[in-house]
Amino acid sequence: MITHTQPRRDPGRGRRAGRPARAGRARARQRSTAVDRETWIERRIPHVEVLDAEALELIEHNADLVLREIGIEFRDFPSALELWKEAGADVDGERVRFPLGLCRSLVEANAPREYQQHARNPQRTTIVGGERTVLAPAYGPPFVHDLDQGRRYATLEDFRNFVKLTFMAPGLHHSGGTICEPVDVPVNKRHLDMIYSHIKYSDKPFMGSVTHPDRAEDTLAMVKLLFGEDFIAKKTVLTSLINANSPLTFDATMLGAATIYAKNNQATIISPFLLAGAMSPVTVAGTLTQILAEALAGMAYIQLVRPGAPVVFGSFAAAVSMQSGAPTFGTPETSLVIYGAGQLARRLGVPYRSGGGLCAAKIPDAQAAYEAANTLQTAALAGVNFMLHATGWLEGGLAMGYEKFVMDADQANMIAVLLKGVDMSENAQALDALREVGPGSHFLGAAHTLANFETAFYRSPVADNNSFEQWREDGSLDAARRANGIWKQMLREYEAPRLDPTIDEALVDFMRRRKSEFEDRDY
Amino acid sequence: MDTKEIVPDEEEFILADLNNDDLVEQMHEDLYDGLREEIVEGTSILLERNWSADRVLNEALVEGMRIVGVDFRDGILFVPEVLLAANAMKGGMAILRPLLAETGVKPIGKMVIGTVKGDIHDIGKNLVGMMLEGSGFEVFDIGINNSVEDYFEALEKHRPDILGMSALLTTTMPYMKVVIDEMVKQGIRDDYIVLVGGAPLNEEFGRAVGADAYCRDAAQAADVAPEMVRSRRRGGVVSA
Repeated sequence: MITHTQPRRDPGRGRRAGRPARAGRARARQRSTAVDRETWIERRIPHVEVLDAEALELIEHNADLVLREIGIEFRDFPSALELWKEAGADVDGERVRFPLGLCRSLVEANAPREYQQHARNPQRTTIVGGERTVLAPAYGPPFVHDLDQGRRYATLEDFRNFVKLTFMAPGLHHSGGTICEPVDVPVNKRHLDMIYSHIKYSDKPFMGSVTHPDRAEDTLAMVKLLFGEDFIAKKTVLTSLINANSPLTFDATMLGAATIYAKNNQATIISPFLLAGAMSPVTVAGTLTQILAEALAGMAYIQLVRPGAPVVFGSFAAAVSMQSGAPTFGTPETSLVIYGAGQLARRLGVPYRSGGGLCAAKIPDAQAAYEAANTLQTAALAGVNFMLHATGWLEGGLAMGYEKFVMDADQANMIAVLLKGVDMSENAQALDALREVGPGSHFLGAAHTLANFETAFYRSPVADNNSFEQWREDGSLDAARRANGIWKQMLREYEAPRLDPTIDEALVDFMRRRKSEFEDRDY
Repeated sequence: MDTKEIVPDEEEFILADLNNDDLVEQMHEDLYDGLREEIVEGTSILLERNWSADRVLNEALVEGMRIVGVDFRDGILFVPEVLLAANAMKGGMAILRPLLAETGVKPIGKMVIGTVKGDIHDIGKNLVGMMLEGSGFEVFDIGINNSVEDYFEALEKHRPDILGMSALLTTTMPYMKVVIDEMVKQGIRDDYIVLVGGAPLNEEFGRAVGADAYCRDAAQAADVAPEMVRSRRRGGVVSA
């Protein structure tokens, strides 16, 4: 007689625990497996590198020449010019020319190789830099797109939705910033709602407002209410996006926000914004030279404002069509730029930002999928540390797509598996399985398979792998249609992370007070 | 998202201590978990309590596997788990089959299955066989690379309800028609339900070669086969 004990494989199924346990299994398996909630991806595979040492030195040399001979403009921002003069640069009007090696030495001597960005939930606190990759959703689109309503201006409701979807996506480690532009809120007030939404509807780290120095100050005031003033004095809780106004220019808006964040030891991503052919030369080498020059000047400036303030070597790389002038994405030349810029950033010893699910497609179609896949995988293999625009991006960044978000989030999950590399444990070597099955036969019922199948393969929630007939019975849905069902289900199942009511109230009061202090403006 | 639900239940108990209803319910759970020894024991206990083999089969085993089938179809159970469940079912069937034969109860069904001549691919075919065994079928797997003669010999020997033919290659799948044409010629085509399957096939191909149904995957085969056997025994039209 057998003593009936626990089932061997599933501790959840004790005596007559059948139906509830099945329901649990059903819930778990409706989603993708093999993706743990993590605060970053720890990379265990080599970087793809496209430049040899000689090429890298040549680009670095050329970038130094650009900085010395041509220089960079710091427009409408006199305090920056003062700092550069003191540092020994040649300032001619707003043009700053740099002695050879000045920018590099400022960055190498002061900028951290990596930094911690705290989240309100300590378990979501992340680290940017080193062998880590942090993924964040798209940034900046004024439109949203979904299959039901098509393309329309984004609203605050859309913004909240995307904060929620990002919160729920296990492959995204960061809540991002302007996930879409809530154009139904006045320009001079919408930053308050955006920052509040990141805090309220998510507990992942997020980005600060950069569209005006006052809005950066408001962001700081809000994170002080959230974390406490003492905490902010010592810790980094914001990573904010500072774009160069390429070619070779920084403007007062970006410099204003960057200066405020730097003074408060908050991180900035200094991002040359290059559409090759329009804002940089048409060649890969020329574009890399300009990226390095602009990034060096911007990051060095931050180190003048506050030595040691965290900076990220940014690179938004794309190219324009020489036929029409329109931006293009997911093209091979841009991939070479993303790989090369990663090498330059690592030689400099700072974290690297690039990539994302970039595409020019208007809808979540095949073009959207392959252009995004090209950029996402390239960025992952290139060693990007902070991957902005990882999910949702359509139309060159003009639209944030609900279905596209789901499709990209699927790819983000896969990137995590890819970068973790090959498990070489005894279990993974699987000699047991090979011995058990032998020639012929199959592994589907092998003990090793039974012990490992649940986590062995990434299982996409979007891809349909069924037979043609099954697919037809399920409604002949394409990937976008399936993604449509997924984001709706995610929003239905969303549960807000707990926020201390006292803090919540203080934030709401602050927003109300700030909004009442000035008129609505659309600039 | 958390993928594990841990609800430990350390309670140990003796199957024979359960009353009939609880035992049958527990066997459904054990089938679900693929616990072969427990299914063998549960089957024996019910027989000792003077249940007919037929009743044990239908109420304990077939009903349990029905639940497994539903959850497999719905993507809750995965292939290795279903194979384990089918293996547990087989354990119970090994006890019941001779008893069923003695009492003259019609078995759920018998099937001869094999991969056609020129084709050595058999994983899909094996899955179909295991799934049908899981549904209570007696399956005679004649392996790979089967000629018309091989199929006929197996039909003669086992007298199945169903002949299943499988192919993975577009170059071997037409051989199904060779087999069926020969069955027609010898006047035995209508003695059997003929099911065909394999990746390059479709419904149209199934009809074109004269099969009764094309099964797109193992789960569907396990769904279709018992239904077709029942329908045929009722004298209904055999088609799907």
